[in-house]
Amino acid sequence: MKRPQPYWEDVQVGDDLPGFELEINAKRVFLQISGSQDWYPVHHDPEFAREAGHQDVFMNTGLTQAALVRVVTDWMGDEGFLRKFYFEMRRQHRPGDVMACKGRVADKYVQDARHFVECEVWAENEREGVTTPGRAWVILPSREEAA
Amino acid sequence: MAGAYDIEAVRRKYVGMETVPTRGRYPVEHDPIRRHCHMVEDTNPLFLDPEYAGKTPWGSVICPPSGWLAMYFASFGPWPPVFEPLVPVVPTPGKRIVNMNQEVEWFDAIRVGDHLSVKRRIADVYQKPISLDQEAVWIVSESIISNQRGEVVCVVRNTLLFHRSPEEVAAAEQRDT
Repeated sequence: MKRPQPYWEDVQVGDDLPGFELEINAKRVFLQISGSQDWYPVHHDPEFAREAGHQDVFMNTGLTQAALVRVVTDWMGDEGFLRKFYFEMRRQHRPGDVMACKGRVADKYVQDARHFVECEVWAENEREGVTTPGRAWVILPSREEAA
Repeated sequence: MAGAYDIEAVRRKYVGMETVPTRGRYPVEHDPIRRHCHMVEDTNPLFLDPEYAGKTPWGSVICPPSGWLAMYFASFGPWPPVFEPLVPVVPTPGKRIVNMNQEVEWFDAIRVGDHLSVKRRIADVYQKPISLDQEAVWIVSESIISNQRGEVVCVVRNTLLFHRSPEEVAAAEQRDT
């Protein structure tokens, strides 16, 4: 069954993107290594992480980016195209946290005949609040083009 | 370490330095995409189901638009890894690394079967203190990723923070007093 496809004309500034939550636990730490192939021990070895000055292991760039990109790709449908993506890793997600991944439409415009939607995306947890603010520039199909 | 690390000399030597392009050992494959999706519970059939993806405008399974995954296929997919050479090239007082931010620009989708290459460039090096280390060094690199037709599919701009451990900072302070 085809996934829902948003069109540029139907999107409103302020619309929420459907988000999701990920439990950060031992299983997630292993999935993180499997999915990212990032073996830097600060992300899986608590002793190494503490010796480096951190309180515990924390989720890496690969998992964080995959989660925030998923917020966008879950929403933009098969015909959407993520043209640019930016995110900052200001705080950490550690075992015991629930990583909530969210997004909101911040702007929409036409540039060079392409129909852009800019979205704020972010991850947050109860311990730190917003940990990872980001922004996505998405090209959506327009109903005019589809007609 | 105070006085021993000359950031201006480092900048003169390294900013603008480029690596020769390196090619991922293997083409883009289904299973690393599946593992990447699995870690964040992503069930999008465009990334996972060849039959579904074949009926979309893309015509086949594509990669989730993650700069990390593109870098994986272009460089650190191979074994032995070829990812490391650029980063340690720049001397830094500390060797602990934190990834601070990343920007990815996409020009086309990456499809299963594509064979990616990457050329890396050091865009900036500067010192900015953090609470852990007053001599932390920040390195901005660009990775330009192309497919087998020489078409640039994405550019990843990454800012890495290099810092010393608390023990290394304390030892350096003791040496300096």
